[in-house]
Amino acid sequence: MDLTWTPFFTLFRREIMRFMKVIIQTVITPFVSSTLYLMIFGVSLGKSIVLKDQLPYLSFLIPGLVMMSCLNNSFQNTSSSIVSSKFSGDLEDFKVAPLTPWQIILALSMAAVLRGLLVGGITFFVGEASYFFTYGTALGVSHPFALLLFLILGSLCFANFGVVVAFWARSFDQLSAVSGFVLLPLIYLGGVFFSVENLPPLWRSVSLYNPLLYMINGVRYGILGVADVEPQRAALVTLLAFLLTTGLAVRCLKRASFQRW
Amino acid sequence: MAQNANLALDVSNVIMQYPLTKALAGVSIEVAPGEVFGLLGPNGAGKTSLISIIVTLEKATSGQVKVFGHDVARESQLAKLQTGWVPQEIINHGFFTVNEILGFHGGYYGVRDSKKRVDELLNILGLWEHRFKKVKQLSGGMKRRLMIAKALVHKPRLLLLDEPTAGVDVDLRKRLWEFVEQLRRDGISILLTTHYLEEAERLCDRVAIIHNGQIRAVGETRKLIEQWSRKKVVLRLLEPVEGYKNHPDYMSGQGSEWTFFTKMSKPLGELMQELQVPMGNLKDLQVQDGNLEDVFVQLTSATKGAH
Ligand SMILES: Nc1ncnc2c1ncn2[C@@H]1O[C@H](COP(=O)(O)OP(=O)(O)OP(=O)(O)O)[C@@H](O)[C@H]1O
Ligand SMILES: [Mg+2]
Repeated sequence: MDLTWTPFFTLFRREIMRFMKVIIQTVITPFVSSTLYLMIFGVSLGKSIVLKDQLPYLSFLIPGLVMMSCLNNSFQNTSSSIVSSKFSGDLEDFKVAPLTPWQIILALSMAAVLRGLLVGGITFFVGEASYFFTYGTALGVSHPFALLLFLILGSLCFANFGVVVAFWARSFDQLSAVSGFVLLPLIYLGGVFFSVENLPPLWRSVSLYNPLLYMINGVRYGILGVADVEPQRAALVTLLAFLLTTGLAVRCLKRASFQRW
Repeated sequence: MAQNANLALDVSNVIMQYPLTKALAGVSIEVAPGEVFGLLGPNGAGKTSLISIIVTLEKATSGQVKVFGHDVARESQLAKLQTGWVPQEIINHGFFTVNEILGFHGGYYGVRDSKKRVDELLNILGLWEHRFKKVKQLSGGMKRRLMIAKALVHKPRLLLLDEPTAGVDVDLRKRLWEFVEQLRRDGISILLTTHYLEEAERLCDRVAIIHNGQIRAVGETRKLIEQWSRKKVVLRLLEPVEGYKNHPDYMSGQGSEWTFFTKMSKPLGELMQELQVPMGNLKDLQVQDGNLEDVFVQLTSATKGAH
Protein backbone atom coordinates (compact mmCIF):
# COMPACT_ATOMS: atom_id res chain seq x y z
CA MET A 1 0.00 0.00 0.00
CA ASP A 2 1.25 3.41 -0.90
CA LEU A 3 -0.53 6.57 0.10
CA THR A 4 1.61 9.03 -1.83
CA TRP A 5 1.75 8.08 -5.47
CA THR A 6 -0.98 5.50 -5.94
CA PRO A 7 -3.87 7.81 -4.98
CA PHE A 8 -2.39 10.62 -7.05
CA PHE A 9 -1.86 8.54 -10.18
CA THR A 10 -5.26 6.90 -9.80
CA LEU A 11 -6.99 10.25 -9.73
CA PHE A 12 -4.79 11.57 -12.54
CA ARG A 13 -5.71 8.56 -14.67
CA ARG A 14 -9.36 8.92 -13.81
CA GLU A 15 -9.34 12.54 -14.95
CA ILE A 16 -7.68 11.66 -18.24
CA MET A 17 -10.14 8.82 -18.81
CA ARG A 18 -12.97 11.21 -18.05
CA PHE A 19 -12.10 13.65 -20.79
CA MET A 20 -11.23 10.86 -23.19
CA LYS A 21 -14.69 9.38 -22.68
CA VAL A 22 -16.30 12.60 -23.77
CA ILE A 23 -13.73 13.30 -26.44
CA ILE A 24 -16.22 14.90 -28.81
CA GLN A 25 -17.01 17.54 -26.26
CA THR A 26 -13.55 17.92 -24.81
CA VAL A 27 -11.24 17.70 -27.79
CA ILE A 28 -13.11 17.65 -31.10
CA THR A 29 -15.39 20.66 -30.47
CA PRO A 30 -12.52 22.97 -29.48
CA PHE A 31 -10.63 21.70 -32.52
CA VAL A 32 -13.52 22.67 -34.79
CA SER A 33 -13.90 26.09 -33.22
CA SER A 34 -10.22 26.98 -33.49
CA THR A 35 -10.22 25.84 -37.11
CA LEU A 36 -13.14 28.18 -37.74
CA TYR A 37 -11.35 31.09 -36.06
CA LEU A 38 -8.28 30.47 -38.17
CA MET A 39 -10.26 30.25 -41.39
CA ILE A 40 -12.40 33.31 -40.80
CA PHE A 41 -10.10 35.71 -38.98
CA GLY A 42 -6.72 34.48 -40.04
CA VAL A 43 -7.04 33.41 -43.61
CA SER A 44 -10.04 35.37 -44.97
CA LEU A 45 -10.05 38.66 -43.07
CA GLY A 46 -6.43 38.67 -42.06
CA LYS A 47 -4.96 38.86 -45.55
CA SER A 48 -5.60 42.57 -45.73
CA ILE A 49 -4.03 43.30 -42.34
CA VAL A 50 -0.32 43.78 -42.02
CA LEU A 51 1.19 44.42 -38.63
CA LYS A 52 4.35 46.16 -37.59
CA ASP A 53 7.51 44.07 -38.06
CA GLN A 54 5.95 43.04 -41.39
CA LEU A 55 4.30 40.02 -39.75
CA PRO A 56 1.18 38.70 -41.44
CA TYR A 57 -1.92 38.76 -39.22
CA LEU A 58 -2.18 34.98 -39.32
CA SER A 59 1.15 34.61 -37.57
CA PHE A 60 -0.08 37.02 -34.90
CA LEU A 61 -3.31 35.10 -34.45
CA ILE A 62 -1.93 31.56 -34.20
CA PRO A 63 -0.11 31.96 -30.85
CA GLY A 64 -3.16 33.73 -29.40
CA LEU A 65 -5.47 30.93 -30.45
CA VAL A 66 -3.11 28.24 -29.19
CA MET A 67 -3.01 29.84 -25.75
CA MET A 68 -6.75 30.44 -25.76
CA SER A 69 -7.33 26.73 -26.44
CA CYS A 70 -4.97 25.72 -23.66
CA LEU A 71 -6.48 28.06 -21.10
CA ASN A 72 -10.09 27.39 -21.95
CA ASN A 73 -9.70 23.64 -21.93
CA SER A 74 -7.72 23.56 -18.72
CA PHE A 75 -10.40 25.59 -16.99
CA GLN A 76 -13.19 23.51 -18.48
CA ASN A 77 -11.57 20.25 -17.46
CA THR A 78 -11.17 20.86 -13.75
CA SER A 79 -14.35 22.84 -13.35
CA SER A 80 -16.66 20.49 -15.20
CA SER A 81 -15.10 17.45 -13.57
CA ILE A 82 -15.74 18.84 -10.10
CA VAL A 83 -19.17 20.21 -10.85
CA SER A 84 -20.36 16.97 -12.42
CA SER A 85 -18.94 15.06 -9.45
CA LYS A 86 -20.90 17.34 -7.16
CA PHE A 87 -23.92 16.46 -9.18
CA SER A 88 -23.45 12.71 -9.15
CA GLY A 89 -22.12 12.59 -5.61
CA ASP A 90 -18.72 11.06 -6.18
CA LEU A 91 -17.05 14.22 -4.95
CA GLU A 92 -17.96 12.82 -1.52
CA ASP A 93 -15.67 9.89 -2.25
CA PHE A 94 -12.72 12.25 -2.61
CA LYS A 95 -13.37 13.53 0.88
CA VAL A 96 -14.05 10.15 2.46
CA ALA A 97 -10.97 8.51 0.91
CA PRO A 98 -7.54 9.34 2.31
CA LEU A 99 -6.75 11.73 -0.57
CA THR A 100 -4.97 14.92 0.46
CA PRO A 101 -5.87 18.36 -0.94
CA TRP A 102 -2.51 18.50 -2.69
CA GLN A 103 -3.01 15.14 -4.35
CA ILE A 104 -6.42 16.20 -5.59
CA ILE A 105 -5.21 19.55 -6.92
CA LEU A 106 -2.12 18.17 -8.60
CA ALA A 107 -3.97 15.27 -10.20
CA LEU A 108 -6.84 17.42 -11.41
CA SER A 109 -4.73 20.28 -12.70
CA MET A 110 -2.12 18.11 -14.38
CA ALA A 111 -4.80 16.19 -16.23
CA ALA A 112 -6.34 19.52 -17.19
CA VAL A 113 -3.00 20.77 -18.50
CA LEU A 114 -2.68 17.62 -20.54
CA ARG A 115 -6.04 18.31 -22.16
CA GLY A 116 -5.09 21.96 -22.64
CA LEU A 117 -1.83 21.02 -24.34
CA LEU A 118 -3.61 18.44 -26.47
CA VAL A 119 -6.13 20.94 -27.80
CA GLY A 120 -3.49 23.69 -27.96
CA GLY A 121 -1.23 21.37 -29.94
CA ILE A 122 -4.03 20.53 -32.36
CA THR A 123 -4.74 24.25 -32.77
CA PHE A 124 -1.08 24.87 -33.46
CA PHE A 125 -0.97 22.22 -36.18
CA VAL A 126 -4.16 23.50 -37.81
CA GLY A 127 -2.61 26.98 -37.66
CA GLU A 128 0.62 25.72 -39.21
CA ALA A 129 -1.32 24.06 -42.00
CA SER A 130 -3.28 27.25 -42.70
CA TYR A 131 -0.08 29.25 -42.67
CA PHE A 132 1.64 26.86 -45.02
CA PHE A 133 -1.20 26.88 -47.52
CA THR A 134 -1.43 30.67 -47.42
CA TYR A 135 2.25 31.67 -47.48
CA GLY A 136 4.03 28.56 -48.69
CA THR A 137 6.35 28.36 -45.65
CA ALA A 138 5.98 27.00 -42.15
CA LEU A 139 5.81 29.23 -39.10
CA GLY A 140 8.83 28.37 -36.94
CA VAL A 141 9.04 28.28 -33.14
CA SER A 142 11.56 30.85 -31.92
CA HIS A 143 11.85 29.89 -28.24
CA PRO A 144 10.46 26.39 -27.63
CA PHE A 145 11.39 26.35 -23.95
CA ALA A 146 9.70 29.67 -23.24
CA LEU A 147 6.69 28.53 -25.26
CA LEU A 148 6.29 25.39 -23.19
CA LEU A 149 6.79 27.30 -19.96
CA PHE A 150 4.04 29.80 -20.74
CA LEU A 151 1.68 27.14 -22.02
CA ILE A 152 2.10 24.94 -18.95
CA LEU A 153 2.10 27.66 -16.31
CA GLY A 154 -0.84 29.44 -17.90
CA SER A 155 -2.82 26.21 -18.14
CA LEU A 156 -2.04 25.38 -14.51
CA CYS A 157 -3.39 28.81 -13.50
CA PHE A 158 -6.62 28.19 -15.32
CA ALA A 159 -6.90 24.64 -14.04
CA ASN A 160 -6.50 25.92 -10.48
CA PHE A 161 -8.98 28.67 -11.14
CA GLY A 162 -11.41 26.04 -12.45
CA VAL A 163 -11.07 24.16 -9.15
CA VAL A 164 -11.82 27.30 -7.16
CA VAL A 165 -14.82 28.32 -9.24
CA ALA A 166 -16.27 24.79 -9.29
CA PHE A 167 -16.09 24.47 -5.51
CA TRP A 168 -17.63 27.90 -5.11
CA ALA A 169 -20.42 27.37 -7.65
CA ARG A 170 -23.84 26.34 -6.38
CA SER A 171 -25.19 25.48 -9.83
CA PHE A 172 -24.18 24.87 -13.43
CA ASP A 173 -25.45 28.38 -14.19
CA GLN A 174 -22.96 30.02 -11.89
CA LEU A 175 -20.17 28.07 -13.51
CA SER A 176 -21.10 29.13 -17.02
CA ALA A 177 -21.60 32.69 -15.79
CA VAL A 178 -17.99 32.81 -14.64
CA SER A 179 -16.64 31.38 -17.85
CA GLY A 180 -18.89 33.62 -19.99
CA PHE A 181 -18.69 36.92 -18.10
CA VAL A 182 -15.22 36.72 -16.58
CA LEU A 183 -12.93 34.40 -18.49
CA LEU A 184 -14.04 35.02 -22.04
CA PRO A 185 -13.72 38.83 -21.83
CA LEU A 186 -10.35 38.50 -20.12
CA ILE A 187 -9.12 36.19 -22.85
CA TYR A 188 -10.45 38.33 -25.69
CA LEU A 189 -9.18 41.56 -24.13
CA GLY A 190 -5.86 39.90 -23.41
CA GLY A 191 -4.92 40.34 -27.04
CA VAL A 192 -5.75 37.07 -28.76
CA PHE A 193 -7.12 38.75 -31.86
CA PHE A 194 -5.48 42.17 -31.81
CA SER A 195 -2.48 43.93 -30.45
CA VAL A 196 -3.11 46.06 -27.37
CA GLU A 197 -0.94 48.72 -28.97
CA ASN A 198 -3.86 49.42 -31.29
CA LEU A 199 -6.19 50.17 -28.35
CA PRO A 200 -7.03 53.71 -27.24
CA PRO A 201 -4.64 54.81 -24.44
CA LEU A 202 -7.19 54.37 -21.65
CA TRP A 203 -8.04 50.81 -22.60
CA ARG A 204 -4.43 50.03 -23.15
CA SER A 205 -3.55 50.98 -19.60
CA VAL A 206 -6.50 48.98 -18.29
CA SER A 207 -5.34 45.96 -20.30
CA LEU A 208 -1.99 46.09 -18.56
CA TYR A 209 -3.75 44.80 -15.44
CA ASN A 210 -5.07 41.76 -17.24
CA PRO A 211 -2.79 38.82 -16.44
CA LEU A 212 -4.00 37.12 -19.60
CA LEU A 213 -2.21 39.76 -21.63
CA TYR A 214 1.08 38.54 -20.25
CA MET A 215 0.32 34.87 -20.69
CA ILE A 216 -0.81 35.29 -24.27
CA ASN A 217 2.11 37.49 -25.17
CA GLY A 218 4.46 35.06 -23.53
CA VAL A 219 3.27 32.40 -25.95
CA ARG A 220 3.53 34.88 -28.80
CA TYR A 221 7.12 35.53 -27.80
CA GLY A 222 7.76 31.79 -27.68
CA ILE A 223 6.54 31.26 -31.22
CA LEU A 224 7.31 34.51 -33.03
CA GLY A 225 10.19 35.84 -30.97
CA VAL A 226 8.42 39.20 -30.63
CA ALA A 227 5.50 40.33 -28.47
CA ASP A 228 3.73 43.38 -27.04
CA VAL A 229 5.18 42.71 -23.61
CA GLU A 230 8.74 41.99 -22.50
CA PRO A 231 9.14 38.23 -21.98
CA GLN A 232 10.70 38.61 -18.50
CA ARG A 233 7.79 40.62 -17.27
CA ALA A 234 5.35 38.20 -18.87
CA ALA A 235 7.05 35.28 -17.13
CA LEU A 236 6.98 37.05 -13.78
CA VAL A 237 3.26 37.85 -13.99
CA THR A 238 2.44 34.31 -15.13
CA LEU A 239 4.44 32.83 -12.28
CA LEU A 240 2.72 35.06 -9.74
CA ALA A 241 -0.67 34.14 -11.14
CA PHE A 242 0.27 30.49 -10.86
CA LEU A 243 1.30 30.82 -7.21
CA LEU A 244 -1.79 32.81 -6.36
CA THR A 245 -4.24 30.41 -7.99
CA THR A 246 -2.49 27.41 -6.45
CA GLY A 247 -2.80 28.98 -3.02
CA LEU A 248 -6.47 29.72 -3.61
CA ALA A 249 -7.17 26.20 -4.85
CA VAL A 250 -5.50 24.55 -1.85
CA ARG A 251 -7.39 26.81 0.54
CA CYS A 252 -10.59 25.98 -1.26
CA LEU A 253 -10.04 22.23 -1.01
CA LYS A 254 -9.27 22.46 2.68
CA ARG A 255 -12.40 24.42 3.48
CA ALA A 256 -15.05 23.84 0.88
CA SER A 257 -17.87 21.36 1.17
CA PHE A 258 -17.63 18.14 -0.79
CA GLN A 259 -21.31 17.39 -0.37
CA ARG A 260 -23.47 16.70 -3.34
CA TRP A 261 -26.07 19.07 -4.72
CA MET B 1 -9.10 5.37 29.12
CA ALA B 2 -6.51 2.92 27.85
CA GLN B 3 -9.07 0.39 26.71
CA ASN B 4 -10.57 2.90 24.29
CA ALA B 5 -7.64 2.46 21.93
CA ASN B 6 -9.04 -0.98 21.27
CA LEU B 7 -12.49 0.18 20.25
CA ALA B 8 -13.41 -0.06 16.58
CA LEU B 9 -15.44 3.10 16.92
CA ASP B 10 -15.53 5.49 19.82
CA VAL B 11 -17.97 8.38 19.54
CA SER B 12 -18.01 10.66 22.52
CA ASN B 13 -20.30 13.59 23.17
CA VAL B 14 -20.82 14.54 19.58
CA ILE B 15 -22.97 17.58 18.93
CA MET B 16 -23.95 18.51 15.40
CA GLN B 17 -25.62 21.85 14.95
CA TYR B 18 -26.87 22.62 11.44
CA PRO B 19 -28.02 26.16 10.73
CA LEU B 20 -31.64 25.24 11.46
CA THR B 21 -31.45 21.91 13.26
CA LYS B 22 -29.56 20.33 16.07
CA ALA B 23 -29.11 16.94 14.45
CA LEU B 24 -27.05 15.43 17.29
CA ALA B 25 -27.34 16.57 20.87
CA GLY B 26 -24.38 14.92 22.58
CA VAL B 27 -24.17 11.39 21.24
CA SER B 28 -21.80 8.77 22.61
CA ILE B 29 -21.52 5.20 21.35
CA GLU B 30 -18.83 2.57 21.39
CA VAL B 31 -18.46 -0.25 18.92
CA ALA B 32 -16.19 -3.09 19.95
CA PRO B 33 -14.00 -4.91 17.42
CA GLY B 34 -15.90 -7.64 15.60
CA GLU B 35 -19.24 -6.36 16.77
CA VAL B 36 -22.34 -5.68 14.69
CA PHE B 37 -23.86 -2.56 16.11
CA GLY B 38 -27.30 -1.31 15.06
CA LEU B 39 -28.07 2.39 15.14
CA LEU B 40 -31.84 2.56 15.01
CA GLY B 41 -34.12 5.53 14.96
CA PRO B 42 -36.96 7.17 13.07
CA ASN B 43 -36.45 9.40 10.03
CA GLY B 44 -34.50 12.49 10.91
CA ALA B 45 -33.17 11.03 14.16
CA GLY B 46 -29.57 11.87 13.25
CA LYS B 47 -28.19 8.54 12.04
CA THR B 48 -26.81 9.77 8.74
CA SER B 49 -25.48 12.92 10.39
CA LEU B 50 -23.44 10.79 12.77
CA ILE B 51 -22.10 8.63 9.96
CA SER B 52 -21.21 11.75 7.94
CA ILE B 53 -19.11 12.92 10.86
CA ILE B 54 -17.34 9.57 11.16
CA VAL B 55 -16.34 9.69 7.49
CA THR B 56 -15.36 13.40 7.76
CA LEU B 57 -17.97 14.64 5.31
CA GLU B 58 -19.26 16.83 8.11
CA LYS B 59 -17.37 18.39 10.93
CA ALA B 60 -18.94 17.94 14.35
CA THR B 61 -19.78 21.13 16.22
CA SER B 62 -18.14 19.52 19.22
CA GLY B 63 -17.19 16.10 20.51
CA GLN B 64 -14.74 13.46 19.40
CA VAL B 65 -14.81 10.45 17.10
CA LYS B 66 -12.11 7.80 17.00
CA VAL B 67 -11.76 4.85 14.64
CA PHE B 68 -9.46 2.19 16.08
CA GLY B 69 -7.95 4.85 18.31
CA HIS B 70 -7.41 7.40 15.53
CA ASP B 71 -9.18 10.72 15.85
CA VAL B 72 -11.07 11.32 12.58
CA ALA B 73 -10.29 15.01 12.71
CA ARG B 74 -6.63 14.92 13.68
CA GLU B 75 -5.45 11.58 12.26
CA SER B 76 -7.88 11.43 9.42
CA GLN B 77 -5.64 9.47 7.04
CA LEU B 78 -5.26 6.61 9.51
CA ALA B 79 -8.92 6.64 10.45
CA LYS B 80 -10.05 6.73 6.81
CA LEU B 81 -7.90 3.75 5.86
CA GLN B 82 -9.73 1.61 8.41
CA THR B 83 -13.19 2.74 7.43
CA GLY B 84 -15.53 1.59 4.67
CA TRP B 85 -18.62 3.65 3.97
CA VAL B 86 -21.86 2.63 2.28
CA PRO B 87 -23.87 5.82 1.85
CA GLN B 88 -27.63 6.02 2.20
CA GLU B 89 -27.90 7.77 -1.17
CA ILE B 90 -26.54 5.97 -4.22
CA ILE B 91 -23.51 7.67 -5.70
CA ASN B 92 -23.57 7.93 -9.45
CA HIS B 93 -20.27 7.93 -11.29
CA GLY B 94 -21.05 9.50 -14.62
CA PHE B 95 -19.28 7.77 -17.44
CA PHE B 96 -17.36 5.16 -15.51
CA THR B 97 -18.08 1.45 -15.43
CA VAL B 98 -18.43 -0.76 -12.36
CA ASN B 99 -14.98 -2.18 -12.93
CA GLU B 100 -13.36 1.23 -13.27
CA ILE B 101 -15.19 2.65 -10.27
CA LEU B 102 -13.94 -0.15 -8.04
CA GLY B 103 -10.39 0.10 -9.38
CA PHE B 104 -10.29 3.85 -8.78
CA HIS B 105 -11.68 3.47 -5.32
CA GLY B 106 -8.95 1.00 -4.42
CA GLY B 107 -6.37 3.40 -5.82
CA TYR B 108 -7.59 6.28 -3.67
CA TYR B 109 -6.84 4.07 -0.66
CA GLY B 110 -3.38 3.25 -1.94
CA VAL B 111 -4.16 -0.24 -3.26
CA ARG B 112 -1.89 -0.40 -6.28
CA ASP B 113 -3.09 -3.58 -7.89
CA SER B 114 -6.68 -4.08 -6.90
CA LYS B 115 -7.76 -6.38 -9.73
CA LYS B 116 -7.80 -9.54 -7.65
CA ARG B 117 -9.73 -7.92 -4.85
CA VAL B 118 -12.15 -6.25 -7.28
CA ASP B 119 -12.84 -9.52 -9.10
CA GLU B 120 -13.42 -11.27 -5.79
CA LEU B 121 -15.94 -8.65 -4.70
CA LEU B 122 -17.67 -8.64 -8.08
CA ASN B 123 -18.17 -12.37 -7.69
CA ILE B 124 -19.28 -12.34 -4.08
CA LEU B 125 -21.78 -9.56 -4.71
CA GLY B 126 -23.07 -10.94 -7.99
CA LEU B 127 -21.88 -8.04 -10.10
CA TRP B 128 -19.51 -9.95 -12.35
CA GLU B 129 -21.81 -9.93 -15.40
CA HIS B 130 -22.43 -6.24 -14.88
CA ARG B 131 -18.85 -5.10 -14.53
CA PHE B 132 -18.82 -3.18 -17.81
CA LYS B 133 -22.02 -1.29 -17.09
CA LYS B 134 -22.29 2.30 -15.95
CA VAL B 135 -24.10 3.04 -12.70
CA LYS B 136 -27.18 4.34 -14.43
CA GLN B 137 -27.46 1.06 -16.34
CA LEU B 138 -27.72 -0.93 -13.09
CA SER B 139 -30.91 -1.77 -11.21
CA GLY B 140 -31.45 -0.32 -7.76
CA GLY B 141 -30.34 -3.51 -6.02
CA MET B 142 -27.20 -3.73 -8.15
CA LYS B 143 -26.37 -0.13 -7.32
CA ARG B 144 -26.61 -0.99 -3.61
CA ARG B 145 -24.29 -3.93 -4.08
CA LEU B 146 -21.86 -1.72 -5.97
CA MET B 147 -21.83 0.72 -3.06
CA ILE B 148 -21.01 -2.17 -0.73
CA ALA B 149 -18.29 -3.50 -3.01
CA LYS B 150 -16.77 -0.02 -3.18
CA ALA B 151 -16.70 0.24 0.58
CA LEU B 152 -14.81 -3.05 0.85
CA VAL B 153 -12.12 -2.73 -1.84
CA HIS B 154 -9.50 -1.51 0.60
CA LYS B 155 -10.37 -4.15 3.23
CA PRO B 156 -11.54 -1.82 6.00
CA ARG B 157 -11.82 -3.06 9.57
CA LEU B 158 -14.85 -0.90 10.28
CA LEU B 159 -17.80 -0.87 7.92
CA LEU B 160 -20.51 1.78 8.09
CA LEU B 161 -23.74 0.66 6.45
CA ASP B 162 -26.30 3.44 6.14
CA GLU B 163 -29.55 1.68 5.25
CA PRO B 164 -27.93 -0.89 2.97
CA THR B 165 -31.26 -2.60 2.31
CA ALA B 166 -33.34 0.43 1.36
CA GLY B 167 -35.17 -0.31 -1.88
CA VAL B 168 -33.93 -3.89 -2.01
CA ASP B 169 -36.20 -6.90 -2.61
CA VAL B 170 -36.83 -9.62 -0.02
CA ASP B 171 -34.45 -12.12 -1.54
CA LEU B 172 -31.55 -9.74 -1.96
CA ARG B 173 -32.17 -8.35 1.49
CA LYS B 174 -31.77 -11.81 2.92
CA ARG B 175 -28.58 -12.36 0.98
CA LEU B 176 -27.18 -8.99 2.03
CA TRP B 177 -27.76 -9.79 5.68
CA GLU B 178 -26.08 -13.15 5.16
CA PHE B 179 -23.18 -11.26 3.66
CA VAL B 180 -23.05 -9.06 6.74
CA GLU B 181 -22.91 -12.24 8.85
CA GLN B 182 -20.01 -13.37 6.71
CA LEU B 183 -18.21 -10.07 7.26
CA ARG B 184 -18.75 -10.42 10.97
CA ARG B 185 -17.18 -13.88 10.87
CA ASP B 186 -14.22 -12.31 9.04
CA GLY B 187 -13.81 -10.04 12.05
CA ILE B 188 -15.04 -6.79 10.54
CA SER B 189 -16.75 -4.40 12.92
CA ILE B 190 -20.01 -3.03 11.57
CA LEU B 191 -22.18 -0.05 12.37
CA LEU B 192 -25.46 -0.25 10.52
CA THR B 193 -28.67 1.67 10.32
CA THR B 194 -31.89 0.12 9.09
CA HIS B 195 -35.62 0.46 9.43
CA TYR B 196 -36.07 -3.34 9.30
CA LEU B 197 -36.18 -3.95 13.02
CA GLU B 198 -36.78 -7.67 12.86
CA GLU B 199 -33.61 -8.10 10.88
CA ALA B 200 -31.69 -5.78 13.14
CA GLU B 201 -32.86 -7.86 16.10
CA ARG B 202 -31.56 -11.04 14.53
CA LEU B 203 -28.27 -9.57 13.37
CA CYS B 204 -27.04 -6.98 15.82
CA ASP B 205 -25.01 -7.86 18.90
CA ARG B 206 -25.90 -4.50 20.34
CA VAL B 207 -28.18 -1.68 19.32
CA ALA B 208 -28.66 1.96 20.17
CA ILE B 209 -31.99 3.69 19.80
CA ILE B 210 -31.54 7.27 18.70
CA HIS B 211 -34.29 9.86 18.68
CA ASN B 212 -34.11 13.60 18.11
CA GLY B 213 -30.34 13.45 18.14
CA GLN B 214 -30.14 11.68 21.49
CA ILE B 215 -29.34 8.11 22.36
CA ARG B 216 -32.38 6.81 24.22
CA ALA B 217 -31.03 3.40 25.06
CA VAL B 218 -28.05 1.31 24.20
CA GLY B 219 -27.10 -2.24 25.00
CA GLU B 220 -27.17 -5.87 24.03
CA THR B 221 -30.15 -6.44 21.81
CA ARG B 222 -31.62 -9.20 24.02
CA LYS B 223 -31.18 -7.20 27.18
CA LEU B 224 -32.81 -4.13 25.70
CA ILE B 225 -35.76 -6.23 24.69
CA GLU B 226 -35.96 -7.63 28.20
CA GLN B 227 -35.68 -4.22 29.73
CA TRP B 228 -37.92 -2.15 27.48
CA SER B 229 -40.46 -4.45 25.94
CA ARG B 230 -43.28 -6.45 27.46
CA LYS B 231 -44.49 -9.90 26.71
CA LYS B 232 -48.09 -10.28 25.74
CA VAL B 233 -50.07 -12.89 27.65
CA VAL B 234 -53.50 -13.89 26.33
CA LEU B 235 -55.67 -15.87 28.71
CA ARG B 236 -58.76 -17.79 27.53
CA LEU B 237 -61.09 -19.24 30.17
CA LEU B 238 -63.88 -21.78 30.17
CA GLU B 239 -66.04 -19.79 32.60
CA PRO B 240 -66.07 -15.97 32.47
CA VAL B 241 -64.57 -14.14 35.46
CA GLU B 242 -64.54 -10.55 36.71
CA GLY B 243 -62.02 -8.29 38.40
CA TYR B 244 -58.86 -8.71 36.35
CA LYS B 245 -59.26 -5.14 35.10
CA ASN B 246 -57.56 -3.80 38.21
CA HIS B 247 -54.42 -5.84 37.70
CA PRO B 248 -51.48 -3.53 36.84
CA ASP B 249 -50.58 -5.60 33.76
CA TYR B 250 -54.11 -5.59 32.39
CA MET B 251 -54.31 -4.48 28.78
CA SER B 252 -57.68 -5.41 27.31
CA GLY B 253 -60.44 -7.98 27.34
CA GLN B 254 -63.22 -9.15 29.63
CA GLY B 255 -65.26 -12.23 30.55
CA SER B 256 -63.51 -15.27 29.16
CA GLU B 257 -60.69 -13.61 27.19
CA TRP B 258 -58.06 -11.34 28.75
CA THR B 259 -54.86 -9.76 27.51
CA PHE B 260 -51.98 -8.69 29.76
CA PHE B 261 -48.64 -7.05 29.06
CA THR B 262 -46.00 -8.00 31.56
CA LYS B 263 -42.34 -7.27 32.02
CA MET B 264 -40.14 -9.66 30.07
CA SER B 265 -38.30 -10.46 33.29
CA LYS B 266 -41.42 -11.36 35.20
CA PRO B 267 -42.00 -15.14 35.32
CA LEU B 268 -45.31 -16.29 33.94
CA GLY B 269 -46.03 -18.21 37.12
CA GLU B 270 -45.94 -14.98 39.10
CA LEU B 271 -48.67 -13.48 36.91
CA MET B 272 -50.73 -16.66 37.19
CA GLN B 273 -50.43 -16.59 40.95
CA GLU B 274 -51.46 -12.96 41.10
CA LEU B 275 -54.49 -13.68 38.95
CA GLN B 276 -55.31 -16.87 40.87
CA VAL B 277 -56.67 -18.68 37.85
CA PRO B 278 -57.91 -22.15 38.84
CA MET B 279 -56.22 -24.68 36.60
CA GLY B 280 -59.57 -26.24 35.82
CA ASN B 281 -60.89 -23.02 34.31
CA LEU B 282 -57.93 -22.51 31.99
CA LYS B 283 -58.82 -23.12 28.36
CA ASP B 284 -55.84 -21.67 26.55
CA LEU B 285 -52.71 -19.60 27.27
CA GLN B 286 -50.79 -17.65 24.67
CA VAL B 287 -47.49 -15.94 25.37
CA GLN B 288 -45.75 -13.68 22.88
CA ASP B 289 -42.29 -12.35 23.65
CA GLY B 290 -41.53 -8.69 23.17
CA ASN B 291 -39.33 -7.67 20.28
CA LEU B 292 -37.11 -4.84 19.16
CA GLU B 293 -40.01 -3.09 17.51
CA ASP B 294 -41.69 -2.74 20.91
CA VAL B 295 -38.49 -1.26 22.32
CA PHE B 296 -38.29 1.10 19.39
CA VAL B 297 -41.87 2.27 19.73
CA GLN B 298 -41.54 2.60 23.49
CA LEU B 299 -38.45 4.78 23.22
CA THR B 300 -39.23 6.90 20.21
CA SER B 301 -42.90 7.74 20.64
CA ALA B 302 -42.94 8.71 24.31
CA THR B 303 -41.42 12.14 23.76
CA LYS B 304 -42.90 12.90 20.40
CA GLY B 305 -45.28 15.42 21.86
CA ALA B 306 -42.43 17.42 23.31
CA HIS B 307 -41.20 18.50 19.88
N1 LIG C 1 -26.85 19.08 5.39
C1 LIG C 1 -27.81 19.38 6.27
N2 LIG C 1 -28.13 20.66 6.54
C2 LIG C 1 -29.08 20.97 7.44
N3 LIG C 1 -29.78 20.07 8.14
C3 LIG C 1 -29.52 18.78 7.92
C4 LIG C 1 -28.53 18.36 6.98
N4 LIG C 1 -28.48 17.00 6.98
C5 LIG C 1 -29.42 16.61 7.87
N5 LIG C 1 -30.04 17.66 8.44
C6 LIG C 1 -31.07 17.60 9.49
O1 LIG C 1 -30.55 16.84 10.56
C7 LIG C 1 -31.54 15.99 11.10
C8 LIG C 1 -31.04 14.57 11.11
O2 LIG C 1 -30.95 14.09 9.78
P1 LIG C 1 -30.30 12.70 9.41
O3 LIG C 1 -30.15 12.66 7.94
O4 LIG C 1 -29.09 12.50 10.24
O5 LIG C 1 -31.43 11.68 9.86
P2 LIG C 1 -31.48 10.10 9.72
O6 LIG C 1 -31.56 9.54 11.09
O7 LIG C 1 -30.40 9.61 8.87
O8 LIG C 1 -32.88 9.91 9.00
P3 LIG C 1 -33.35 8.84 7.88
O9 LIG C 1 -33.79 7.62 8.59
O10 LIG C 1 -34.51 9.54 7.26
O11 LIG C 1 -32.23 8.65 6.95
C9 LIG C 1 -32.79 16.21 10.28
O12 LIG C 1 -33.62 17.09 10.99
C10 LIG C 1 -32.30 16.87 9.02
O13 LIG C 1 -33.26 17.76 8.53
MG1 LIG D 1 -30.27 8.67 7.09
